[in-house]
Formats: sequence, C-alpha cells, structure tokens
Amino acid sequence: MTSLFNRWLPGVTLLVWSGVLLTFYATRRLGSFIVPAFHTNVLVAGLVMLLMAGCFLLLPGVASCCDDERCGHPLGRRRGGRILTFLILILPVAAAATFTPRSFDASTVGSRGVVTDVSGMMSRLTRPKLAGPAAAAQSAPADDPANPPLPTHDGSPAASTATAQSTPADTSADDYLPKSKDGNIQVQVIDLLYAAQDTSMRADFDGKTVETIGQLMPDDSHNAGGNRFKLMRMFMYCCAADAKPIATLVEAPAAPSAPEMAWVKVVGKVEFPIEGGRTIPVLKATKVEVTDPPADTMLY
Amino acid sequence: MSWFSFHFSDFALSFLAIIFEGIPFLLLGSLVSGAVEAFVPGEMITRWLPKNYTAAIIVSALMGLVIPMCECGSVVEIRRLIRKGLPLPCAITYMMGAPIVSPVVALSTFAAFRGQNPLEMTVLRLVFGFLIAVGVGLAVRDIPEEKLLQPAMLESLPGKRRTGLSMAVPGGDGEAGFGAEGVRGKLFRTVQSATSDFLDVTFFFVVGASIAATFNTAVNQALLAPIATNPALSVMAMMVLAFALALCSSTDAFIAVSFQMFPPAAKLAFLVFGPVFDTKLFFLYGAVFRRWFVMSLAIGLFIVIALVCNHLGLILNNT
Repeated sequence: MTSLFNRWLPGVTLLVWSGVLLTFYATRRLGSFIVPAFHTNVLVAGLVMLLMAGCFLLLPGVASCCDDERCGHPLGRRRGGRILTFLILILPVAAAATFTPRSFDASTVGSRGVVTDVSGMMSRLTRPKLAGPAAAAQSAPADDPANPPLPTHDGSPAASTATAQSTPADTSADDYLPKSKDGNIQVQVIDLLYAAQDTSMRADFDGKTVETIGQLMPDDSHNAGGNRFKLMRMFMYCCAADAKPIATLVEAPAAPSAPEMAWVKVVGKVEFPIEGGRTIPVLKATKVEVTDPPADTMLY
Repeated sequence: MSWFSFHFSDFALSFLAIIFEGIPFLLLGSLVSGAVEAFVPGEMITRWLPKNYTAAIIVSALMGLVIPMCECGSVVEIRRLIRKGLPLPCAITYMMGAPIVSPVVALSTFAAFRGQNPLEMTVLRLVFGFLIAVGVGLAVRDIPEEKLLQPAMLESLPGKRRTGLSMAVPGGDGEAGFGAEGVRGKLFRTVQSATSDFLDVTFFFVVGASIAATFNTAVNQALLAPIATNPALSVMAMMVLAFALALCSSTDAFIAVSFQMFPPAAKLAFLVFGPVFDTKLFFLYGAVFRRWFVMSLAIGLFIVIALVCNHLGLILNNT
C-alpha cells in the first residue's frame, strides 16, 4: 500500500502529464492553445516529466518523501490527500485533452465581444509583420522570436519579413505581398484591421483583390440587405484563454448560406469606408466558399 | 445573452491553454526548489547575512533571487532555516519575498504579459513584492518570537536562541547527514522534493485554471464591466480572487492575464497579494505562526496592497 502512494501514484501522474504534453507537441496541436514562443517549453517540460516519472517508477529509493513527520507537503502527508491530488491532476486534464476542440463556440466568442476596430487595442498588440514597405518601416528585427510573422491561411509562416526588409520602399505592393495561385493577395483579418489604422498600410490594400479565411458570424450593423457578415478570427496574445475575437466586415453578393461559425474563404476587393466616425475595412466579396479550418485556428 | 453559459469544449480549450502555458514554469520552480533543498545547507544562508539588522532584512528579501522558492516551499523552508538559526524577522522576510522576488517568477510574469507591457508589469511586481517583504520584516523586528511562533515550533528550536545576527547554531534536527550525502543521493532528493512540490502545487494550479477557464468562457464578460472598470472594486475583486484561487507564484501571471477586462493595477494586486497570502498559505502559516499574527498579516497586507494598487491605478489612468 505504501508503495502505491509513494511510488505509483506520483509516477503515473507524471507519466500521464508527460504523455499529454508530448502528444500535443508531436501532433502540432499546440498552435490552437499557445503562441509558438511557448511550444519548446512544453516539449522540455514533457521530457523532464518523463524523466522524473522514470525515476519514480524505476528507482524505488526515490519515492520516500512525505513519510517524514516534518514533510511540508500538505496534500502529500495524508493518503486521502494523495488520492485527491491524483484524481484532480489526472481527470480534468485527461478529459480536456480528449474532448478539446480547436476553436471556440459562438457563445464564448460573442461573450468576449468581437472587435472590428483595433484602435483601442493598438497599445496591447504586437504589430503584425506584413511583407512590404510598411512592414519594413516597422523596423522589427526579422528573426525576433517574440514576434513571429503571421501565418498564412494554411498555417504556414507568412512570406517574409526578411523579404520585406530587403525590399526597397518604393517597390509596388504587388511585388512583395504573398499571393495565392489565383493571383489574389493573401491576407489575414488582423492585417486589414491594422491597415485601417495606418495610412501607409491602407494604401497597400485599398482597392486590391485579396483572399482570406475566417469564421462566419452575423453582423447587425448596416445590414438591411442581409448580405453583410463578420469574418472572425481569434487573436491570441499569449494563449487561447486571453484570445480576443477580431473581425473584418464582408459584403457578399447574396446572404451567406454557410452556418454561423463555419470556416469560409472570402475573395474580394478591400475598401476602407468611414462608419460611425471610424475607418473600418470592408471586403466586397466576389466569392464566399466553405473551407477547412487552417492548421492554426488562432492568429498571434 | 445570459450571464452564464457553460460549454465543455470551450472550457477545455481555455483550460488546456492555461495549463500548457504555465506548467513548464511550475515544473522549473519545483526543480529549482528541490535542488536548493538538496544542495544548499541552511547554515550557508545564515552566513551570507550582514550583521546590521536592517541590511540583513533587505538581503533576506532579495534572497529569492539566489534561492528561489514558491510560496509553499518558502514556508516549509523557513521552518528549516529558523531551526538552523536564521533570525525570525529575516526568515519571515525571506518567506514573504521569495515567492515574488525570484528569477522564475520574473520569467513567467514577463512571458505571460507578452504584448502587454511585460517589462513594466514584471518590474512593478518584483519591486512591490520586495518592498512588502522588507516592510513585514521591519514590522516584526521587535516582536519577541514567543509571540509570533506556534508553541510546537518554539519547542523544536535547538536550545535557547540568542537575539542578534550571530545566532546560527548547529542543526541538530536530523539534517546532520546533509554534507555526507553523495551527489547521487542529493539528486534523488531533488527529484523527490521537486515531485512532491510539483504535485502539491499543480493541484491548486489545476483548480485555479479550471475556475479561470470557466470564468473566461462561461461568464458573459459584459456583466463584469461595472467591477472591472471601477479602480477600487477591480483591485479588491482580483485580490479576493487571488486569495481564493491559491495559485503558485510561478504560474499565477498566466491566470491574471486571462482576466482581460481588468486593468493592470488590479492584475498587479492579484500578482502581489496571492503569493503572500491565500487560502493554502493561511493554513501553512498557521502551522508555524500564532493565529493573531496570521490574521494581522492578512488584514495588513490586504489594506496596504489594495491602497497602493488603487493609487497606482489612478496614476496609470491619468498618464
């Protein structure tokens, strides 16, 4: 019985936690939970826990703490405490790891308030690194690990900060912005929101045909025709818990047929009208089609 | 929209995000604490202290930078240090300072507030934590230890202790074999202690992450606006939350940052009050100190931290 409490419970707990961390890392699912800067931490923690679990399970001499009267671990001193610790540590994590999705439900997104104007968030946000003269002017180092370039819609890193920095300032935006095989400029929702706040970035997109993806949400403002909707992405600063829904407005030729929160790809021309005294981006869509979720459902 | 709408899938996403972000720092803190316990003899700490009392208290408040300990570990550690002859005010100062003035906490706070003035929040947290620790150390300086320590703790002290700083006495509490233990034995003790610390503290972290994830995904954030936008209320609400959640200081920043509606001053109050007083510390303190002291500590810390953070919030709002 003593070996169960001293050796097996801690060993199995560490093993399960290690398994969860390493599985999420190996299957590249971490991108939906935390920013890339933290992925290596998870890998290292998983490996260290595996090592510690090995020590407990393979070296019985290690597992003798908390038999001592002076032991300072309040939960480790009593058998009930150890069982409770074991259950609390295993059950929620195992359940969450088994049933977790890769994106939030509409009610949670709605509750957090969808942002269509990032002017109030500018001081909190790390400015996105677009390719182009506007990006070059941002002067962030190309290999800054804290500010990775925005991913493209398929989750791969966006083209080029490095390219951007070597691009002369008077080069046409068409020369450096990443393009799809149809020739459309590939952007993220956050790019358009930033562009609305920045005249030089706005010039890169105004009147251009772009392609972007996001989740479809209804829009109640200026939507008499019923053909206007929000194209939403979750933008995380650090992890999914602090993720904020951001959206650009889309005006489609007809009311969208896809259900709320469906992932859609939108192709259309970018305009920056002033509504309610604010400059906002609006995509005049020529094509709206349901698509698969990207590898990284969150933007960062 | 109703005020509460729970979806397990959203809860799971938010919960795991907090866990993935915080657990590496919790593990790092546990390993460092375990290594300190196994490799650093208590006498070494008493030898470092200056002879001047005020200077000794200031150094004790900074000792967490060299000997990082989470709050649970620091309460346990000071029992060992007091037995080893560390003056009580210095031990209390270390107990208050180590959970905040620590490289692990600095790292995790900076990482958690990424994109949200991380340097400002990290510096404010460490400096405020240092000042709180020094303040408490100076406040208890002239109080006899008989009035502070539990009778059982007093009895465990090796002989009649002298006041003053040259009071270090030989151990005699079962740690005589410390120096004789080989490196392999010390590594085993590091793993043993780190695992126990890790499992104990992760228990509270899982509970805290569950509450934070529920709060984040199930509670309609718009309803929190009246509290979150009131400087005094937001500070006190976050302090009460810090007390209730009983998080480890190496991971609490990841929880604090997820309360997006609350202002930085309220988050700072959460990050300073939680590591020095929460539900688990209430019980841990009670095992070492007399009840009147624990209660005075709770009330005093709450008032001081609330007033300072509220004032700081007003200054930040006006700049």
